[in-house]
Amino acid sequence: MNGLLAAPRAWIETFGEIAGFCGQVLGQVFGGRVFRFFGEALRQAGILILSSTLVICGLVFIIGLQCGIEGAYFTRGTGTPTYAGVFAAWCDLRELVPYAFGYMMAAKVGTGIVAELGSMRISDEIDALEVMGINSMTFLCATRLLASWMVLPFVYIASVGAGFFASYLAVVVQIHEVSAGGYSLIFWMFQNPPDLLFSAIKAMAMATVIVLVGCYYGYNARGGPVGVGTATAKSMVLNIVLVHLIGMLGTQVFWGANPRAPIGG
Amino acid sequence: MSRSDFDKDRPDAEERPAEAFRDDEPELAGEPERAEVDVAGYGLQVEDAETEAPDELDGDPSSRISVVSESRPRTDQEEFRWHTGTKHSVEGVEDAIEFLDVHKAFGRNRVLRGLNLGIPENRISMILGPSGTGKSVCIKHMVGLLYPDQGDILVHGESVPNMIDDELFEMRRKFGVLFQDGALFGSMNLYDNVAFPLRQHTDKGEEEIAEIVNGRLREVGLGDANDKMPNELSGGMRKRAGFARALVLDPDIVLFDEPDSGLDPVRTALLCELIKEIHEENGGAYVVITHDIASARRVAEFIAVLWRGRIVESGPAADLFASENPFVRQFLSGESQGPLGME
Ligand SMILES: Nc1ncnc2c1ncn2[C@@H]1O[C@H](COP(=O)(O)OP(=O)(O)OP(=O)(O)O)[C@@H](O)[C@H]1O
Ligand SMILES: [Mg+2]
Repeated sequence: MNGLLAAPRAWIETFGEIAGFCGQVLGQVFGGRVFRFFGEALRQAGILILSSTLVICGLVFIIGLQCGIEGAYFTRGTGTPTYAGVFAAWCDLRELVPYAFGYMMAAKVGTGIVAELGSMRISDEIDALEVMGINSMTFLCATRLLASWMVLPFVYIASVGAGFFASYLAVVVQIHEVSAGGYSLIFWMFQNPPDLLFSAIKAMAMATVIVLVGCYYGYNARGGPVGVGTATAKSMVLNIVLVHLIGMLGTQVFWGANPRAPIGG
Repeated sequence: MSRSDFDKDRPDAEERPAEAFRDDEPELAGEPERAEVDVAGYGLQVEDAETEAPDELDGDPSSRISVVSESRPRTDQEEFRWHTGTKHSVEGVEDAIEFLDVHKAFGRNRVLRGLNLGIPENRISMILGPSGTGKSVCIKHMVGLLYPDQGDILVHGESVPNMIDDELFEMRRKFGVLFQDGALFGSMNLYDNVAFPLRQHTDKGEEEIAEIVNGRLREVGLGDANDKMPNELSGGMRKRAGFARALVLDPDIVLFDEPDSGLDPVRTALLCELIKEIHEENGGAYVVITHDIASARRVAEFIAVLWRGRIVESGPAADLFASENPFVRQFLSGESQGPLGME
């Protein structure tokens, strides 16, 4: 019985630690301490733009193509090919683009942070920072969070654009059962600016969680290179789970009660 | 015999060796000493026969010499019998850093066990001691990277473990630290590594920074390795770069964890000269950890010998090199015979 309870208890403990850590980092960002290292935050922002924009947009582009193809064939099957835009609009903006964004963030940015901070931890670099009188948590974690908040909204909007363009290509150019004008009419009728905002909120929640979890596992890495490896794997697992949770909760909250579908008046 | 019979015997068994040692003259450190220890081994052997068995083998004079000289200690008295803790004072100088009865354990591994140590102001001090006794741990306590389980550490009279975060960060700016493996930032090249403290803590312009950094790098013989990344350097080069970084802010207190390990003999000698030179220029309390007795002879003004988490003896270098303590004598002459073995 004790053995059975040990695992959940350890999870709860870890969860509590992560929550405490996240609270500290958020406090340093909102409390303004992070602006002492604004230069470092800008540097991290630059790294994010250069290293992640393309992969994120690329993945979302592929997902957009898929949504377009599925939507076109599905609506043809029900005899309403002109409504392919409905499927594409919802699939893109509300569900799959945030997920694709979350996956790529977890895989590229999250694990990158764990590996970088973890190796700094085990080679005493974090201690060296501390000894130089620099708050390592602010310098390493809070700056990364600030950088992601500065950059990722734009990266996300760009990736949404890539997804929309891909769906358009699939429905109008490739399958070609609906005219460009007809597709656009429906496509834009079934979404409005608040939808984009909600979608962006979903994605930013994911990004925040991913960066924080990455920082936690990297900053607290133990046990040499092997420890960094296991920390990376653990962070990936937790991040994927959290991405799905946020995606599900977001859909429930934003579109669960009011899907805003202009069908039947 | 039943278990309780053993227990009844135990006090006697522990009493005997302890008394024997108290009567010991330090001069007896050689051959007869070993016999005594073995008696102690027999005295307790009944209790945990399996764990003692290998020890007994080591105790056999025909086995390897390095292991012979020390069998596992069983009582505090026995363990710390060389630890006279004698402090030959340095006249007219206050302590920059003080350890007051510091205890620190990692799990069951008790590393510091009642450490009392004063590092004098304005001197080059050296902490010597066998590998793995807690010298690096000791340094990490001075800058508040580790906290003691018990006891206190004073830096310029202020208690480090009791500082709040902001005070701690402020206090750390007095320090320059060279970590045992350099701890250079892997994402920056050498120049940026050395320039980092200047950029973070001063308002100097890039030109002034360049002048200082290039000067420091030239001093340690890395003048033309400016744009190399740390992973492209040899261990010794990383050490020297870390050395340059530790000194770039002209700190009041400098801690070097084995600055000379991984360097060739000539570079070691030059580095020692450099330490002396810089110390003459800037003053301050310098703490150097080293395993190199030649370096110790060359630069040390104050020496503390650490073993098993306590100071065996500390004082001005000349006093220590003339010490009568068998452990100190063995350690400072690097002999295989004496109280210290492989364990
Ligand atoms: N972070 C840590 N966690 C657990 N144990 C540690 C930690 N740091 C040090 N130790 C233990 O403390 C003891 C002393 O280590 P320390 O690094 O201070 O030795 P040292 O005297 O510097 O040795 P060397 O001369 O080889 O560098 C060792 O037994 C080591 O296993
Ligand atoms: Mg060490």
